Amino acid sequence: MLSQDSLRSYEARCTQESPPACRRYCPFDLDGRSLMRLVAQGDIAAARTLLLRHLPLPHLLSQICDHPCEEACLRRDYGGSLAIRDMARFCLAYPVPEKRTLPLPPKRHAMAILGSGLTALTAAWDLAGKNYPVTLFAEGNVDDLLKSHPLWQSQDVRDALAKDLAKLLQKQIEVRPLAAKPDLAELSSAFDAILIDAYALGDRLTLPGASDIDQETLLWHDSICVAGWLSTSPTGHSYLLPSQAASQGRIAAQSMERLAQGLSLTAERKKDQAPLHTDPGKVALAARIEPSAATYSLEEAQAEAKRCLDCQCLRCVRACSYLQQYQGYPRLYARQIHNNATIVKGLHQANALINGCTLCGQCAELCPEHFSMADLCLAAREDMVAAKRMPARAHEFALEDMQNACENAVFLPDQDVSKPSWVFFPGCQLAAERPSQVLELYDILRTQLNGGPLPGVALAITCCGMPAHWAGQKALFSKHMERLRAHLEELGRPKLMTACASCLAAFTEALPDYPLCSVWEVLDTLDISALQSSAKARSDLPKTFSLHDPCTASHNPAWQKAVRSLIQKTGASFCEPEHSGTTTSCCGYGGLVACAQPDTADGLARQRIAELTEPALASCIICRDRFARLGKACWHILDLLLPKEGMSGECLGSGLSEHRTRRAKLRREVLARMGKEEGYPEEGIALAISPELLDDLERRHILRNDLTEAVAFAEAHQTYFLNSENGHRLGSFRPRNVTFWVEYSLDEHGFVLHAAWCHRMIVPGSGGRPANEVIDEQQALQKDAANVGGAQ
Amino acid sequence: MTMAPNYAPDEGSWLCAHCKEPLQQLKVPVFYLGSAFDVLLPRCPKCGMTFVPKSLAEGKMLEVETLLEDK
Repeated sequence: MLSQDSLRSYEARCTQESPPACRRYCPFDLDGRSLMRLVAQGDIAAARTLLLRHLPLPHLLSQICDHPCEEACLRRDYGGSLAIRDMARFCLAYPVPEKRTLPLPPKRHAMAILGSGLTALTAAWDLAGKNYPVTLFAEGNVDDLLKSHPLWQSQDVRDALAKDLAKLLQKQIEVRPLAAKPDLAELSSAFDAILIDAYALGDRLTLPGASDIDQETLLWHDSICVAGWLSTSPTGHSYLLPSQAASQGRIAAQSMERLAQGLSLTAERKKDQAPLHTDPGKVALAARIEPSAATYSLEEAQAEAKRCLDCQCLRCVRACSYLQQYQGYPRLYARQIHNNATIVKGLHQANALINGCTLCGQCAELCPEHFSMADLCLAAREDMVAAKRMPARAHEFALEDMQNACENAVFLPDQDVSKPSWVFFPGCQLAAERPSQVLELYDILRTQLNGGPLPGVALAITCCGMPAHWAGQKALFSKHMERLRAHLEELGRPKLMTACASCLAAFTEALPDYPLCSVWEVLDTLDISALQSSAKARSDLPKTFSLHDPCTASHNPAWQKAVRSLIQKTGASFCEPEHSGTTTSCCGYGGLVACAQPDTADGLARQRIAELTEPALASCIICRDRFARLGKACWHILDLLLPKEGMSGECLGSGLSEHRTRRAKLRREVLARMGKEEGYPEEGIALAISPELLDDLERRHILRNDLTEAVAFAEAHQTYFLNSENGHRLGSFRPRNVTFWVEYSLDEHGFVLHAAWCHRMIVPGSGGRPANEVIDEQQALQKDAANVGGAQ
Repeated sequence: MTMAPNYAPDEGSWLCAHCKEPLQQLKVPVFYLGSAFDVLLPRCPKCGMTFVPKSLAEGKMLEVETLLEDK
């Protein structure tokens, strides 16, 4: 199970919740992005509340701040940074009713602030705002504060300061005259914490320089903080940087609170958060809007606010419709997946999230921090399987298909070479969909390789076990792989070449020390002149293809290179889609999503199809069939190398039921080459099913064989219902964890299927067994479970 | 009088082909993942053969199955 530590490490990798650049560079943590969003929406009152929550001396700072936020704004290179300071000034001047705030309970710790510079006033603002009794030791009276600083010379600035001071003086604050030589010992005994404004008191006290003080706390000694030094330019010129001076006031105020309360000065103070990764992408230029008067009009402010790029990371989310489906981003998903494993009672609501990931790894490639939803979801699936919490519905059907491929497995040694150098592993999906091309390719490989230095090509047709790996069935996957390893060792450990990227990925995962490559790499080194230039001569092929890399080959540059080289050799031309190579997108089959969540899988396929501007060309048969099924013309690379009459990119795949028939047929053909004969399975009853109905039923995991079995059972045992209105019969059969229902009729040619459905729930009196028998069995099981539960 | 949910055939007039009896809405316990519920379904009053309508299998039944699987 995902530990708290690894959860945090996952969360830290996703920066979507990190502050945007403007907020990160603001010493007062003001989120310019939210400010702009609120102004653009016309909610100026909320924008103002946001400003007042973050800015000390808001009127003054909105006049004099040197706005480091604007320096950091990503709009800077696209028409100029957002006018965040001008926007703050607009919001503060905009006539909205002042919100009444509830007074905070008075604090008892007495705070002394020596000086009246910007640092001192900021600290006073923050402390008085929290209702600490603050004593401000200043030169002259309050009115003199307005005149005592060189920055306060302009009338606008003086007016702004006057507004802030008026507000400040409503709080628990007392202004006392500053002594010529303040007695720090005496002050220390009278106050819980003291701040000395270095700018204002530098000539009265011997104070440490900025470099002598820890800038994180600004503590000088005991309970005395010093802050407010002038900044120095590279040429040695001293100047007051308002953002820095005010920021030091805020830091000092926080330290004074901690000093007064006897808390740690450093604990939980530094925010260790990675910066928000923002890729502005293609941004249209839009010039900064300057206010036509002293401040913006509402229209001007809204127009300016709408220039905000609304910085987000979401690189992975934008590319993946699965990540969009749950309206979040990986950081949130990691938390949901963690919670899913730890809840004791209630629904495991993240099961769908966990089983909806294709494990393609595109997110990790697009993410600057390499956050991998694939790693997270696969580990969660393995945990669910181990804890017996994985819903059987999710992957049972795919695992049954794997079982079928294994039952039809066949290993053909090279007929001429006793110890083959190679074994060709086409993959169970390609073998089921294109059996004749597979055998043709095998013969080409043998002809070409047997004359060379590495002769002998065996043929292995079976499943690689990837469905078990994707389903989180670790034990099943490793058992299957061990069996395959034993077969390969028996053949003399020949180099394995696969035509399926998933098989190659499965072997790389489970047998990392076994010699592996793709069949495309081998073909690329052979003389295939007979196949070359054939594509150019063909009028049935598109001028240009959009090349789609299978996601399981995204980390296999050799596969990608060989496929491109072979296509070029056939004379066909192709272009690369936006996501290609390492960042290629999944067709929706990966991670068994097409089985667990067909709608999610189709969403992913449609998103990918939208990126493929030309007719597509794939080197994976599953991708090809899925695209073609959704109306996107897609060719397989074998259609260029070994064209078949009538085969085009528009042709639909043969379907899951037909795959099973073809696998059995291919096995018989291969066995015949070995001189072995295998009897044909008994012919089932003839049941006519329209292709559209079968396609719809296969999508719901009901195969032709299930349907014929159900009809045969109902007919053999006369256990069906009869519709007296139209003569339709309705039978049911439960061969495994699913009850299949078939509504059919009988005509002169045989049975005709009208509808079918299935359910997993056990309904006594259906599925072919007597009701009482099922009820007794289920009640006994429940009793046993209750006894086990009680004993525990 | 039972409070169990009641599901009739979606359409048609059905009878048990074996017993030649018209179906009646009768109570039957259904089971899934350690839970049991009483439901009124069309059944043959003689042999007890039970009919699960398509709308039930693909609607409420699927919903409950998924809910129990995620529990």
